[in-house]
Amino acid sequence: MSSEGHPALAVPPDRAWINRRGWFFVVAVIIAVLPLVFQDSYWRTNLIVCALNVMLAIGLDFILGYAGQLNLGHSAFYGIGAYASTLLIMKLGVPFWMAFVSAMALSSAAGMALSIFAVRLRGHYLAIASLGFAVIVHQVLLNWISLTQGPLGIYAIKPPPDIALPGVPVISFAGTGNMFYLVAGFALLFYLLLDQLVRSPIGEALTAIREDEVSAASFGINCTAWKVFAFGVGSALAGAAGAFYASFVGTLVPDAFIITESFTILAMVIVGGMGTLIGPVWGAILLTILPELLRGFGDLRLVLYGAALTLVVLFMPGGIVQAVQMLRARLGRLPIATHAGTRQ
Amino acid sequence: MLTVALQQGINGIVVGSLYVLVALGLTLIYGVLVQINFAHADVVTIGAFAAYFFTFVFGGNYLVSIGIALMVGAALGWLVNAAIFAPLRERGSELLPLIATIGVSILLQNAMLLWFGPIPYAFDSPYSNKVMRLWGGTFITWQNLIIILVSTLTIALLYAFMKFTFMGKALRAVAQDRETAGLMGINPNQLIMLTFVIASALAGMGGAMLGPILVLTPFAGTSVIVKAFAIVIIGGFGNVEGTIIAGLAVGLIESFTTQLVNPGLTDLVVFTLLLLMLAFRPTGLIAEKREENV
Amino acid sequence: MRIHSRILCIGVAASVALFAAANAAHAQDKAIRIGGLFAMSGPGSYFGVQDKQGIELAIEQLNKTGVDGYRFEVQYEDSACSPLPATQAAKRILEQYKPHVVLGEECSDATLAVMPLMEQAKVPLLNAGSSSIKITDPGNPWTFRIMPNEVMQGVDIATNAYKRLNARTAVLLYENTNAGIGNAKVFGDTFKSLGGQILADIGFGRDVNDFTAIATRIAGLGKVDVIPTYTLEGQGLRITQALAQAGVTKGGGGQSIQLGTIWLPFGFEQKAGKAALGYVRIVQFDPTDKREVVQNFIRSFKAKYNQEPTHINAHAFDQILVIADVVRRGGKDSQSIRDIMTTTKDFSGVTGSVEFDKTNQNIKMDTIHYMETLPDLSWKALGWN
Repeated sequence: MSSEGHPALAVPPDRAWINRRGWFFVVAVIIAVLPLVFQDSYWRTNLIVCALNVMLAIGLDFILGYAGQLNLGHSAFYGIGAYASTLLIMKLGVPFWMAFVSAMALSSAAGMALSIFAVRLRGHYLAIASLGFAVIVHQVLLNWISLTQGPLGIYAIKPPPDIALPGVPVISFAGTGNMFYLVAGFALLFYLLLDQLVRSPIGEALTAIREDEVSAASFGINCTAWKVFAFGVGSALAGAAGAFYASFVGTLVPDAFIITESFTILAMVIVGGMGTLIGPVWGAILLTILPELLRGFGDLRLVLYGAALTLVVLFMPGGIVQAVQMLRARLGRLPIATHAGTRQ
Repeated sequence: MLTVALQQGINGIVVGSLYVLVALGLTLIYGVLVQINFAHADVVTIGAFAAYFFTFVFGGNYLVSIGIALMVGAALGWLVNAAIFAPLRERGSELLPLIATIGVSILLQNAMLLWFGPIPYAFDSPYSNKVMRLWGGTFITWQNLIIILVSTLTIALLYAFMKFTFMGKALRAVAQDRETAGLMGINPNQLIMLTFVIASALAGMGGAMLGPILVLTPFAGTSVIVKAFAIVIIGGFGNVEGTIIAGLAVGLIESFTTQLVNPGLTDLVVFTLLLLMLAFRPTGLIAEKREENV
Repeated sequence: MRIHSRILCIGVAASVALFAAANAAHAQDKAIRIGGLFAMSGPGSYFGVQDKQGIELAIEQLNKTGVDGYRFEVQYEDSACSPLPATQAAKRILEQYKPHVVLGEECSDATLAVMPLMEQAKVPLLNAGSSSIKITDPGNPWTFRIMPNEVMQGVDIATNAYKRLNARTAVLLYENTNAGIGNAKVFGDTFKSLGGQILADIGFGRDVNDFTAIATRIAGLGKVDVIPTYTLEGQGLRITQALAQAGVTKGGGGQSIQLGTIWLPFGFEQKAGKAALGYVRIVQFDPTDKREVVQNFIRSFKAKYNQEPTHINAHAFDQILVIADVVRRGGKDSQSIRDIMTTTKDFSGVTGSVEFDKTNQNIKMDTIHYMETLPDLSWKALGWN
């Protein structure tokens, strides 16, 4: 890959490092302050759902935007994470954090299994295969009643256990404030992790595979291994989101993970800007808050949503990130390159 | 016992024809355009509503309403292609048009929800409850018979069109290699538009015939679309014969799974079959002769 | 001067009196805020749209005179028939609208999800459409239900099938949802305990359109006396038609009697046609009921909306009447409404009477009306309750 894909090389290393550290600090402060600004349970719930969606969106973007794999079944990994952690806790008495890690591992394994299975498939075939996989997972969750309770649902799921540190008041996650810090904190952590991955040679390899798999192979890149890796990472994040979802909402039904959920997450990635890391974050935030703000519109709400999605794809396929870039260029400032060129 | 098996066989073929009607348009579009259109099933739903309103509100003849629905479908197809696919064609991306059709699908469904409401419409044609007794104690309704007959006729006509007319051959040329076809003096864009219109007309007509069988709400399309995609893949993207065989096969699988196991598991069986198909024979039941980067 | 000051005094006195009167009228013109958690988007809006109609009609009528000086106001939030959107809608309504009492939801999962929030906020939740036993059985002091639950319905209809219809074999047919599975199970357990036999247990998804395969399977089972069917009107219609086409039910020349539940609206028979002949079902709302409250409801509903009311319209209407009754007896804020609601007795609504037991479940069985479909597609009230 040429240096044009690396903003870090366009700017002196020290400056870039400070820039990034600066941004992350700002974000951390914003996360810390948000629950203080929004004191009511309704808006805090929305913030938590935002954070969950950010986790889902960046995970999907890693698979889709960076590795170029058409994954339309992300909801399956979300659901596996939610049910795995809940069942481990409620049926086997596994402590929360162990169940959390196991859920991530299970989702990751499912993702890698799908990827290995679909290793020869490309484009639309992979898309439909992933969709089929999501349908199968949903149907299993729905029909295996003795394991998952199916449509009867699992209720009274407890939030993550209190954390008691010496000298500090007990941190309880029953309230929305602390729960937001937890989920948003993890979302930020995962973002940092992906950011590192993307800037490393692994990121280069993925981009190479995305752009032209045949050439990448001729360079000695093991395409299969990296595709599986991308799926593994992306679905692990979805699994984490699932575990948090269950412990936050307290109620689990299979229909929370139908395939239209995959499309919603996909929309967040596209609207935000596929192939960038910050894009899905914006997409997730916008597409979580927008339906809430549109509640006033009542019946028109989803019509507007569908229209917005279509229009974005038609006129601004690079999503919000592209829009911001264009704005910046218009304002006469130097265009700041993103991590990878937006895929057209 | 034999009666039951025979009847389930007939049921399977009926349900299969239902799926084929929906899947046919999808496979046509894919064959020529190499694009997945998620809004396709919503055209079927709109066709059903068009037929309903023509028959029950306008007081027209049911059989005529099938023609009306066909025209409504054709118009929608023209619109969707002109507004969505044509502009996106230049970009050459696989993903963007797919996403756009997802957006269009959400838009159409919720617009229908606004206009028609969520309460199911009881759409019964003069034929949907008339039962014809066949051999061995089996039966079929007149409506189902109409569906099978019209589907077969349509497929035959389509086949003839593709094989024997100039337009049809040009379409196949565009499907095989758009650039070269263009060099030969064929206007690919016009032909693509034609494909879209034909496919959507089929969908609309299908909707009119399926309306009396479906539970008619704005969400009727979603109940069939994903399975329709599965059928298109199992049969082989762009392959008409494959789609027909796959559609009928899925219908039979469903009716026999219902008989022997549980209706709730039919989706599971069908999609597991799909994944197996993709693993071992991704080009579909009938191997595509085209060179496809699978 | 004196005359002036007298006039001034009278003027001031008059103004004060007027002012006081105006204030008093204002103070009397208080409002009871009712929150409505119903699905307004997606397929679940099937319920929300009808609930809204019933509620609007009731409120319009009550506000003509007010109740003890109180007016009724309602605000709806879209709970989308699903746990997370329902929790979001509940939080929003609790925090922004601060209702005195909340109505909802129709779908059992959504109701179960919002119950803890209502309890925490100390706002009573009045439910008229979810059948899951889990809603009242644990004994939540802040949740009330006027609809008979799945156990009440299931035990009653299974017993009646066995005793009054002499049914000995049955096939359970239900949608794969919380409510479908729950109701079917109660019927099955009761029927078996009486000595009946369940020949098949068939659950189907909400996306099934063609029921011929299921009807064929049932036809192959031999003598089936009753087929309890738990599904909504869209699929219910197709099932009834398919069963008739396959010659299973009376409407198709067979012997089986379809048994149904509350979920099918009035007007179903007209849509199903001859296929519905002999259908015996429980309805939550019986338009042939001669009671004044029922006939008035039908008249005013038709006048306002120009269509026949369904059971969903009726039970939503009743929810408002129940609240009005509580207000009449002194309820004015969340706590007092809750406390007075538990003592509801001798209340007669469109769907039947209301009396709550200690788990706040309405135990009056006259909310379960049995109807049979006659050849001319009209209803015959069987009067079993």
